[in-house]
Amino acid sequence: MPNPILSIKNLNVEYITQSDPNHAVKNVSFDIQKGEVFGLVGESGSGKSTVVQSILRTLPPPAIITGGQILLNGVDILQMSDADVQKFRWRQISIVMQSALNALNPVLSIRQQISDVLFIHKGLNKKEADARVRELFDLIDINHDRLDSFPHELSGGMRQRIVLAIALALMPPFIIMDEPTTALDVIVEREILFKVLELRKELGFTILFITHDLNLLLEFAERIGVMLQGDLIEVNTASVIGQGGEHEYTKKLIGSLPSATGPRRHDLIPLPDKKDQEPEPLLELRDLCKSFNLSGWINPKKLLAVNDVSFTINKSEIVSLVGESGSGKSTVARLIARLIKPTSGSIILNGKNIFESEPRKASLAYRRKVQMVFQDPFGSLNSVHTVYHHLERPIKRHKLMDESKIYQYIIDMLEAVDLSPGIVFADKFPHEMSGGERQRVAIARALSLKPELIIADEPTSMLDVSIRLDILRILANLRNQNNVAILFITHDLASARYLADRIIVLQNGKQVEEGLSEELTGNPQHHYTKQLIAAASPGWLKKNLENL
Amino acid sequence: MSTSIQYLLRRLGFYAIAAWAALTLNFFIPRMMPGDPASIIFARFRGKLNPEAMVALRETFGLTDEPLLGQYFTYLKNLLSGDLGISIAYFPQPVTEIISTALLWTIFLAGTSLIISFSLGTLLGTLAAWKRGGRLDSFLPPALAFFGAFPYFWLAMVALFTFGFGLGWFPLRHAYGDAVTPGFNLPFMIDAIYHAFLPALTMVMVSLGGWMLSMRNTMITTLGADYITFARAKGLPSKMVMLKYAARNAILPNFTGFGMALGFVLSGALLTEIIFSYPGQGYLLLEAVRAQDFPLMQGLFMTITLAVLGANWLVDIAILFLDPRTRR
Amino acid sequence: MATRKNDSILFRWIKGIIHNKKALSGSLLVLSFILIAAIGPYITVDPNAFLDTPLSPPSFSHWFGTTGQGQDVLAQTISGARQTLIVGFATGFFVVLIGALIGGISGFYGGKVDDVLSMIINIFLVMPGLPLMVILASWLPPGPLTLTGVLVITGWAWNARVIRSQMMALRDRDFVSAAIVSGERNIRIILIEIMPRMLSLLASSFIGASIYAIGAQVGLEFLGLGDVSTITWGTNLYWASNDLALLTGSWWTFVPTGICIAFVSFGLTLINFGIDEVTNPRLISERNWRKYLPKGKGNDGITPVIKTHA
Repeated sequence: MPNPILSIKNLNVEYITQSDPNHAVKNVSFDIQKGEVFGLVGESGSGKSTVVQSILRTLPPPAIITGGQILLNGVDILQMSDADVQKFRWRQISIVMQSALNALNPVLSIRQQISDVLFIHKGLNKKEADARVRELFDLIDINHDRLDSFPHELSGGMRQRIVLAIALALMPPFIIMDEPTTALDVIVEREILFKVLELRKELGFTILFITHDLNLLLEFAERIGVMLQGDLIEVNTASVIGQGGEHEYTKKLIGSLPSATGPRRHDLIPLPDKKDQEPEPLLELRDLCKSFNLSGWINPKKLLAVNDVSFTINKSEIVSLVGESGSGKSTVARLIARLIKPTSGSIILNGKNIFESEPRKASLAYRRKVQMVFQDPFGSLNSVHTVYHHLERPIKRHKLMDESKIYQYIIDMLEAVDLSPGIVFADKFPHEMSGGERQRVAIARALSLKPELIIADEPTSMLDVSIRLDILRILANLRNQNNVAILFITHDLASARYLADRIIVLQNGKQVEEGLSEELTGNPQHHYTKQLIAAASPGWLKKNLENL
Repeated sequence: MSTSIQYLLRRLGFYAIAAWAALTLNFFIPRMMPGDPASIIFARFRGKLNPEAMVALRETFGLTDEPLLGQYFTYLKNLLSGDLGISIAYFPQPVTEIISTALLWTIFLAGTSLIISFSLGTLLGTLAAWKRGGRLDSFLPPALAFFGAFPYFWLAMVALFTFGFGLGWFPLRHAYGDAVTPGFNLPFMIDAIYHAFLPALTMVMVSLGGWMLSMRNTMITTLGADYITFARAKGLPSKMVMLKYAARNAILPNFTGFGMALGFVLSGALLTEIIFSYPGQGYLLLEAVRAQDFPLMQGLFMTITLAVLGANWLVDIAILFLDPRTRR
Repeated sequence: MATRKNDSILFRWIKGIIHNKKALSGSLLVLSFILIAAIGPYITVDPNAFLDTPLSPPSFSHWFGTTGQGQDVLAQTISGARQTLIVGFATGFFVVLIGALIGGISGFYGGKVDDVLSMIINIFLVMPGLPLMVILASWLPPGPLTLTGVLVITGWAWNARVIRSQMMALRDRDFVSAAIVSGERNIRIILIEIMPRMLSLLASSFIGASIYAIGAQVGLEFLGLGDVSTITWGTNLYWASNDLALLTGSWWTFVPTGICIAFVSFGLTLINFGIDEVTNPRLISERNWRKYLPKGKGNDGITPVIKTHA
């Protein structure tokens, strides 16, 4: 292809460790043409962020670039002197990093942080820099009264815009975006991406976009590279990748994506075994409210995290609570798990108001009936104990069975969540397992008490895309085999649609819509639900881009 | 900005409570001891004190026939009106009078050496973390930790012995010589600095390592932050990244630590004063211990506590300026 | 069921300490002083006996010279180790115990309990140590028990603060929530689930508190607030200064004791350096990384290029 702006040839990067170096990027080669949007997709640990940080040579220790070339307009970045590296950074290539809160210096005002770039690279004086900062603020649609704000005073979306403004400060021909929207809610994510593409149309820069979210890339990337464990396994146009690409792994990635709209693919997650019984209520929430004190004991501000939430979960039913961060969905989970106390309202389990019978602390009987699986499998297991300890403790505490039977029971539990052979896994420590395996241990632990309800709080959001579906499938099978009800909490409407019988949408602590999964996703009533569905449906960005 | 004032008032409220707790502790310690304090005092001073001093002593501690609560309120009232009682060692001088000049000397000596030590340690810690594994980083921390392992007063003894007695480079005692008149004049100030040099030097030597190490550690954590990588990606020069982006953030927890450690570090400074016969609070403390001068002891405890609380409030104000997040 | 102990985080951690140069040399230094404290009194001359002319300089018969009372300085230095170290380590132990108890409860329960306890912790933190110690020690009968008590009262707050913040961080982690959901009792959660995670902190707190205790104890005794009739490193220095060591130029009466104190504290500091390095794997990989760089190069914010792949 003619005239690549950036050409990476046989790039190798290693991380030095205590023992053998970890070969994070292996012989990666690709070209990016002037003006295109090139997407790089991969799971955590695939080496995609290492590749882009090598371009700017900002990989911190213990990384070493052990081979290859990175040609920017024909000049090898890897052979530049230190002084030249300092100069090419930001003038030629700038970067928008993953978490905007962490990318901004917390003690400097926004104005100072943008001006620093202008002082150093352009030698502007204070007045000239100020004028330029104002121009940039206009470009990203932020009011000038935010100039002297500090990062902590701005919302996540606003901070990401500021980082974008810093990236545009010198009008570089090439901008790297490293998971720029991962920490943001879908609706804000849409706005930011839309802004980026609008600016690209106006200013004509080239974009290298890194993400774990293939769906997102398919919306706007022209070509996509797929990375797996340090190898670049496929580079193709977005349309070819969208059809499943050429590599097995790409096919798996595409095939494992549930969607919020369109026909439901029954092969992904099994449907419930229909047993045509009358729904029998298991757990009922009535006008549940929870407020948190924000700050100050002189005049405390209150945050109403959960506002009058009422719904019922029937026996062996899967209900999904869908909302974005800050919607209060995790607070609801912690309320039902009785990790925190509600400000008002009641929880009724099997017809009994639990705050009347056990007001202070949850009884053992309640604990046994209601179990929980947490979001972060790295955090929910204790690194000093074995898998066996994690499963043995609840059984012993609840005196579920005779001591002699526990061992076999634990092995069975592990195999029930596809951790086999169970004997091997029982002996492992958390750090010896992958994220997916850990999450299965957590599910097995919840399941081992034979509960009536399992609360699953975003059980897949910290896991790689390719194994999320496995976890959802395990949950679906649990219900079919063990008749356990599941409250599935997620921000992802698509997986809620595939797993749950009913969906409840939560916004800012309030319930906005409730309905059977297919009905709600097929025919949303509330405008917020409509927005969520639109943002999760393929083609949303293209539709808007055509209007540009 | 009203939130800043609210923050400072809240801190002030806390210091008021801390001061009250110290006062109360001071009141109850003698009364919690086995036997009653009056007879302890009486037994220790039998025959050594004249009757007037004995009466003054009883009054200082409020050891009257009043009920305990009444004694407590009299005690508080006396303290609030600045009446710390009458010294035994310097009878019949009031404690307040003895302490006030000594306090100035302590603030001068301990204050300057603390500030020098903290600033220098912070600077060295910044450089060591920046050039991690470099010469400064591999040599200084263990060397300073070795100096930090010596008791303050012992190092002071060795310094005084070597440079004072042995080589005769520095004066052996006191805060200024007989030849100068205390006041706002140059010869006096030069002489005061000359006298303070050696004690200050030993204090800096012992405490430097601690400050350096804690700055180095917070700096290393800060250097791992995303905004440092981002600042580097921006092509900013190294010095700017080090100072304006890294050290500027890393110093914040150390400042808080500085306030918290003040009371702790001051103890070493007081012992150093004793070696150099420096007329500060530490020297008085020794006098008080030797003479079993309880009123002087409690007076010293009060004033040093208040000085530390005041210094902590200054640190709070500094943090308010340095960290925009406290101004929210 | 047997678990594979050698794969646990704890085991790897202990192994790391043994293989760490700083921790190892620090431990050897401290252990040799503990040995001296244990057997010393049986191998020296009577430290209380008046053996020779007062303040005679080091000689063959008295390697470290004699004190103002004509006692053997070497014998005094060796026998002073015992009580000093016992009081030092006992204080270290109780400081960590109280710190873990109060800091742990404060951090685990939060809310009003924490409001009250952290207020108490902060008050003790800002209260200047030495004057408070002096007041306490001057009212109590002198002796090792008083010393330990006084040092614990003035020293516990720092550890409580550190342990509290660590407890707060761990308490919000999901593994604690998971234990609560499975019905575990709080006491078991604190002891079995959380405390093992804080082991390195507790160990370094113990060492830090012992360093503090040795220094502060020596300071108090130097002021004359210990039992001056017993032999400890602090009273050695008290007598040295009482016998006008500086004026008479008899440096040997205070130099050996001071160096012993410094060696013990320095050895303990080295152990803490070692714990720090072992519990921070980033530092270890970074050190290995530096070995690959050309001489004189450090981390200057530009990823090094060292071509080993063609």
